Parts: sequence; C-alpha cells; structure tokens
Amino acid sequence: MSYTIALAGNPNCGKTTLFNELTGSRQRVGNWPGVTVDKKEGICKKDKELHITDLPGTYSLSPYSAEEIIARDYLVKEKPDAVIDIVDGTSIERNLYLTLQILETGVPTVIALNMMDEVEARGDEIKAEKLSRILDVPVVPITARSGKGIGELLAQAAETARGKKTPQKLLVFDEKLQRVIDEVEKELESSGESDSAWKAVKLLENDENIAAGISEELKNRIRKIIGKAYGSNEDPEAIIADQRYRYIAKVVKDTVKKSAAGHIETKSDKLDKILTNRILALPVFACIMYLLFACTNSENFLFLGIPSPGIWLAGLVESVWGGLTGVIEGLLGNASPWVYSLVIDGIMAGLGSILGFIPLVLVLYLLISFLEDCGYMARIAFVLDRIFRRFGLSGRSFIPLLQGFGCSVPAVMATRTLESEKDRKITAILAGFMPCGAKLPIFALFVSTLFADSNQTLVTYSVYIFSIVTAILVSLLLNKFVYKDGASNFIMELPQYRVPTLKSVFIHGWEKVKGFAVKAGTVIFVSTVLIWFLSGFNLDSFNGKNAAENEDGSIMCEMNDSFMASVGNVIAPVFKPLGFGEWRPAVGVVTGWIAKENVVVTFAQLYEEDVTEEYLEEYFSRFTSEELEELGFEGGAYDSEAAGDIYSESVLFEGGDENALPHMKDDIKTKAAAYAYMVFNLLCMPCFAAVGAMKRELKTWKETGKAVGIQMATAYAAALLVNVVGGLFL
Amino acid sequence: MALAMMEIGETREIKSFHGKEEVKRRLQDLGFVKGEYVQVIGENPSGLILLVKGVRIALNRGLASQIIVA
Repeated sequence: MSYTIALAGNPNCGKTTLFNELTGSRQRVGNWPGVTVDKKEGICKKDKELHITDLPGTYSLSPYSAEEIIARDYLVKEKPDAVIDIVDGTSIERNLYLTLQILETGVPTVIALNMMDEVEARGDEIKAEKLSRILDVPVVPITARSGKGIGELLAQAAETARGKKTPQKLLVFDEKLQRVIDEVEKELESSGESDSAWKAVKLLENDENIAAGISEELKNRIRKIIGKAYGSNEDPEAIIADQRYRYIAKVVKDTVKKSAAGHIETKSDKLDKILTNRILALPVFACIMYLLFACTNSENFLFLGIPSPGIWLAGLVESVWGGLTGVIEGLLGNASPWVYSLVIDGIMAGLGSILGFIPLVLVLYLLISFLEDCGYMARIAFVLDRIFRRFGLSGRSFIPLLQGFGCSVPAVMATRTLESEKDRKITAILAGFMPCGAKLPIFALFVSTLFADSNQTLVTYSVYIFSIVTAILVSLLLNKFVYKDGASNFIMELPQYRVPTLKSVFIHGWEKVKGFAVKAGTVIFVSTVLIWFLSGFNLDSFNGKNAAENEDGSIMCEMNDSFMASVGNVIAPVFKPLGFGEWRPAVGVVTGWIAKENVVVTFAQLYEEDVTEEYLEEYFSRFTSEELEELGFEGGAYDSEAAGDIYSESVLFEGGDENALPHMKDDIKTKAAAYAYMVFNLLCMPCFAAVGAMKRELKTWKETGKAVGIQMATAYAAALLVNVVGGLFL
Repeated sequence: MALAMMEIGETREIKSFHGKEEVKRRLQDLGFVKGEYVQVIGENPSGLILLVKGVRIALNRGLASQIIVA
C-alpha cells in the first residue's frame, strides 16, 4: 500500500528544503519566490510507502497564477492522502491564510511549523499544541534546514494519511456569511456537484474557474442567493478575506507569544539598508555582477594572473575529453572510414565542442543559485524594477535574462516565474538575444580572424553591448506595437537573508544545468550526427558513384558537394544584403539553429581545404612543447594526425589568429559583414532546444512562431543595418 | 492618503484599494486587507519596502499610490 503526501506552503517557507530532507532526491531549493514551478515527486527515504509531491509555493488557492492552479488542482482533483502544510513560524499570520484555504479543501492535513530555530532566536514562542487543538489538525514544530523535528512530522503525516482523517470545519466566518455558504453548498449538492463545500466558498470568492465548470442555470440560482444576502456595494470576496484574517489574528493572539511588541530590526533589515539603498544599491549590484562574470569567464581572474574558476574547469574538461578521444581513436583503428568519421568527427567533436563551455555555464548557474538562495536576487529584481519599467519590463525579467548569458533553455524556462503574461512573452523573446555560452566561440573565431588589427577585447565587449541595446529597443517596440498590455505592477516578497547551505546551492544549480545537459545529450547529439551526415554525403553516396571514385572506397563525399552545400546554395541569396551571401556562411547559420556552437564546428569543416598539413605544421611550429601539450598533443610532441582536430576544437573555439581559415575572408570580405554575421547569429532564432522551451512557456505554436518571427526580423534588420552603415565607416 | 506618500518608519492602517480586481486579490493574499497596519521600512527609486504581517513586501510606487491608508 502506498500513500501520497503533498507539500504545500507559501513561497520561501522552506518547502523545497523539507522535500529534499524527506526524499533525499536532487531537487532545487530556492529563495526566489516561485522557484518550484512544477510539482515534483519523490519517494520518502525513511518510509518507502510514502510518495511525496512538492507543490509550487503559493500565497493562496485562488486561480490567478499558474502556480496556484497547479497546487489547487492537485489538492482538489487528485486528492492526496494527506497534505503537509508548511508554515513559516517567523511570519505565521500571513502563512495561516493559505492554511485555512487548504483546510477548506477537506484533505487530511498536518501542519509543519518551520523555521523554529529563528523563532526561538527571536525569543518568541509558538504554542504548537494549542494551535493543533484550535485547528483540529496535528502541528509539528520543525527546522527543515537542520532536519530537527522531521522524524516526528513524518510519523504524524503517515498516521494522518493512513487514518484519512479529514479536518473538522472551522468556524472561520460569521453567521451571515456561513449561512450563505451553506445555502450555496446545498444548491451545489442537489445538482450533484462534488466538493460542494469547497466550491461554495470559491464561488462566493468570485472564482472564475469554478464558475466555468457549472451550468448556467445553477450559476443563476447561486447568484440569486448571494445577491439576496449582499448588496451591490458589498464584496463577498473581500469580506471572506477579511474574516479569514480576523480569525487568524485571534488564533495567533492565543498561540503566539512575542518577545517584543512591534517590529524589531533584524539583520535582514540592516542588510537591506545597504543593498536596497537609493544610492548604494546600483553600485553594489554592479560590483556583484562584475564578480559573477569574472568568476565565470575571465582569463585573468581579478587581475591575479590566474584563470577564473570557470575557465580553469573548462580547460580541465577539454584535456580529459581530448585524452578520451585519443583512446577511442586507437580502438577504432580497424573500423571502416565512415564509422571512424561518424564517431570521431561527428560525435566526439560535436560533444567535445559543448563540453568546452559547459563548465562556464555550470559556474555561472552555481553563482546565480547562490544569489537566489541567499535572498539577494529578489532585491535585485526590486532595485532594477525602475530601470526595467522604463523599457516596458518588470525587474523580475532580470533573472531570466541573466540566465540567458549561460544558456537560453533554462533562461526561457525561468520566465515562468513572471506574473504578467506580457512580461513573460517579451522576456522569452529577449532571452534569445543574450550572448549564451554557445555563441561565444563564434565571436572568438570572428574577432580573432577578421578583426586582427582592431582592439579585439573592445570588439567582443561591443557584441555584449549590442545584445543588451537590442533587447532594450525590441522591448520598447514590442510594448508599443505588439503586446500592448500597459505597465505591470511589481509586488514581491523580500525573503529574509539566509546563508544558503552548500548542498542547496548545488542542488539548485544542478537543476538549472540539468536542462542544458539533457539538451546536450539529446538534441545536440542527434544534431551533430545529422550535420555530419548532411555534410559528408550526397546522392552519389547511395548510387555507388562515390565509392567508385574514392581511393579508399568510401561512400562519403567532400563537403563542397554534400547535401549541406545544396541547402546553403539555396538560402545564401537571402543573406546577400547582410554581406555574407555565400553558401558556407549560410550553412553556418542553419547549423547554428540546431545548436549555436555548431557554427564554429561547421566553419572548421567547411573551410577544411585551408587547413592543409603544411599549414598546420607551420601553425603549430611556433609553440613550445609545453604549450603543445596544453593544446592537446600527447607528450607535447607535434602529431600531424591529431593536428586537424586540435586545430578546430581548441584553436578556433578560443579564437585562433588572423591566418586561421584564410578562405573565410573570401566569403566574408569586410569587417562590416563579419560584424553583421556575428550580430545575425547573436539575435536570430535560438537553437531548437530553446525554441522547444519557448513552446512550453508560450503554450501554442502560433505564439512561439510569432516570437521566433520577431527574433528573425530583429536579427535581419540589425545585421542589415550593421552591414550597410558599418560599410560606410569600416 | 495614498500609501505612496508615507514616510520611512511610519505605520498606518489600510483603508481601501483602487485598482484592478486581480491586483487586489494578489495584495489580499499577501496580507493587504482593510484594517491591517502597514509600516514603510525602506524606499528607493523603484518603490517602497513595506512590512505587512511581519513580512517584507516590495511594491512599485504606482501600485502604492492605489492603496489608501489612514
């Protein structure tokens, strides 16, 4: 026999921490309101019969946000055997508002009184037993972070689930209101509606979801009952909220003993005086952002002359991968040419190219998770709100956009935490404009080869600035012409600052990287094989012509004759006005849609004729053996067989020199065209994995198509502008 | 008067809200109900930081000017 137990509670009440404690599963814990956007399931470590579901954090069970709908549908429709309602003891009054609504659903309930360590530290006291008697449900004081009280909580939850003890109806409402509720309930019951008691309250609360589910005729009868009791100037909904809070105030008065009357200044208040200060807030924010990016991708970390953690990790991963490729190459010694090519040039090279920047994404996301978990991210959202508001967004949009510097997939997913639909749609579009980790190699290659005589750092930075300025302009335009919903409001709880546990930062960070890693394992894996196929085969591969012509009998062809070249030739003219209307750059754009890092891999393959043995030998001859080993040559000795791969994977990815791929200059002749190419890849449709994420958040293909169309139009217009205007100056 | 006009440290009672129904509900869920006391504990160009039922809530000024206090 197994029992389902749901975890419900306000955002920031410690719900996800408790879930991790109970299930031991890899779950994210966030201090960012609304971090749990889907319900998550796990099996209890200590009692395998208990299946635990983590519901999104909500302030109530009204149907006005995605989170609330998930939570209430689960409680009412799927009816768990019990619900553990987590109440933050430090803000018990506000938290009990949701508790009352959970009790109304009639699901067997246990209250977990969390953050008891903080309550005690303040010198306050909560009489759990008395609270339990008043609410007629078990109340267990716990401290989820340290695990204190969880054993007792679990025992109570298991007992409640097995006993199916429905909570007794509380006398929350006054006589008149209760009488109206009862009448509506009877009306619903006689029409055969389930959960009539709960629905009755919801109908008085003007709940559109419930109203939509019953017949017009029944609705009319109910409207009459309500109309008879309350005049048109009275609002039953507000009366219900008011009476709930009154009831709670009474309960709190009986059960909570405060050490001091009124609000005493806490550490969080003191920190807020600096971090949300009208003058200091933005400079402090700028410093923290600088540190964030310095840790992620700086070759000279804080001017100490050492690489940043992200860069260091990336180097480590690359050298391990290089070694692994070498081993596999050895194993494939006798395989047929096309198998060898598939494994080494297709799979290993493709995945290797992503592994190069996964560490950067990982470090960035660990730091973002830290900022979220400690409570600072909510302040950033608030502090930036005024600036973002000018551009027609909410301060909350900052988080998804920042994540966009790592990878568009989690960035688009993070738009779910935005309250207004308009903000969600616009932010999902803008997230695709951010210079994600996969786009960086494109800039590195182009800047090093085509901007050799310019200030290269400046050119790279200018791309970042270009992306931000474009995002601002597009947001303004979208607000004016496309999504004209008016300004949205900013309401957000600022949680207490807490030092997050290392475990929760890792769980939280991993949760974000997971989406990216899964993408790497599926979409990118399939796409590398697809690109390998399209660029190595043509029709003649299958009618025997290639096999007859090739010396080694391989059915593969040169890339110039491949399917890919045909595709490139067809679409190239479209890019003519942008300055790169040749088939090879066009193919680069297309493979970039599959995954942006493919652009550089494709270039390396398409301009392969440039990379002759003599060229490579000359290129690598200038390095010392130590440097050669660092680049991936075993033992530091030049090896002509490995040179080609090392050149495309290590040298080009991090920016080679101006002589890299000399024929690229034949296709992309001017600096203006080169910059236009970078801009186009920066802004155009993100990779398919990100488009998939957009479809999940925007719900329909129509909306997704519209969003992608806006991205494409922006990219084309911006690149055209760069090529034409840039052509006049550069 | 409007909540947006309150000074730091001031505590006042909520009287009414003049704005969209859905915003009113969100405020209600966060503890902004008639008769409740709010204290302003911080402000910056984005808006106000308020203390309602022992919880810190950040509001933009536009919204704060729709809440009437006495």
